[in-house]
Amino acid sequence: MVAIVDPDEDLVRRVGQGDPAAAQTLVSRKLPRILALAQRMLGDAAEAEDVAQETLLKAWRQASKWTPGQAKFDTWLHRVALNLCYDRLRRRREIPTETPPDRPDDGPAPDRGLLAAETGARVDGALKRLPDRQREALVLCHYQELTNIEAAALMSISVEALESLLSRGRRALRLALADLAPGMKPGMTKGVGR
Amino acid sequence: MKADRLHALAEAYGADLRRWPASERVFAESLIAADPSLKTVLAQAAALDALLDASAAPTPSADLTARLLAAAPKAKTRRYHLDRIALFLGAGWAAAACAGVVAGVGLTTHVTADERADAVLYQSTLVEVDDTEVLG
Repeated sequence: MVAIVDPDEDLVRRVGQGDPAAAQTLVSRKLPRILALAQRMLGDAAEAEDVAQETLLKAWRQASKWTPGQAKFDTWLHRVALNLCYDRLRRRREIPTETPPDRPDDGPAPDRGLLAAETGARVDGALKRLPDRQREALVLCHYQELTNIEAAALMSISVEALESLLSRGRRALRLALADLAPGMKPGMTKGVGR
Repeated sequence: MKADRLHALAEAYGADLRRWPASERVFAESLIAADPSLKTVLAQAAALDALLDASAAPTPSADLTARLLAAAPKAKTRRYHLDRIALFLGAGWAAAACAGVVAGVGLTTHVTADERADAVLYQSTLVEVDDTEVLG
């Protein structure tokens, strides 16, 4: 078995020994990353903060027991955060809310011009409307910049299945956001999306 | 690599080759170099990438950061180690005391049984003496 090279190994060891500088570094390195993951998975700032906090608290408990070489600490953090996100998404499905179902995006017309923040909000809305697994694949590969192998392992699927989820997700986003980039063809490619 | 595979990779991973599977990047680059018209495939994917990048990542609040740092593991102090030694020694004394009690109870039972046996034997001897005296 090939040993896993983990760039966070030394940092985690020092956190486990109670080094406050290491804890500070780990928080500044991982908290924004995990918060962004949770925010994009859940589309809710308060819930994302809860998930990020819970994930890092689990990291504190795990640090002194961490066994290097078995997995990357970053991947473990992602797994913990994703599990917490899925718990919340499941709860949402079990407890229907008064919120009306999401509708196709009817945001401002392109000729009015959009501020970057408005474009971001449109993209966030379109991401939120994707099926959970397509969103997860896109978030892991595009935003979290995990390799296809890491993302597929986290999602417990094959790389081929991951590529299919990514293709379908991107196609749905192109359709939803077509008015923001007129040159972008909704049906861009051929021979994909198994 | 065929052009179809290039389309499929752009569709899945976008235009930035750094996001593509490492094993296919070199082939993709050579394919594009051989057929520059394939650059339009990447340009199309880049348009969606740019939109995706418009989604701003949230910034952690100072409050959340402070809460997490307050809960971070603390280094073990000298006092902690002394307490652990005291606890260890205390546990040792307690174990010794328990062992003493167990041994004492066991020994008492054993001694009592021996004494009873002696007493019975002695009494039976006395009976024999009495019988001799009575029977002549």
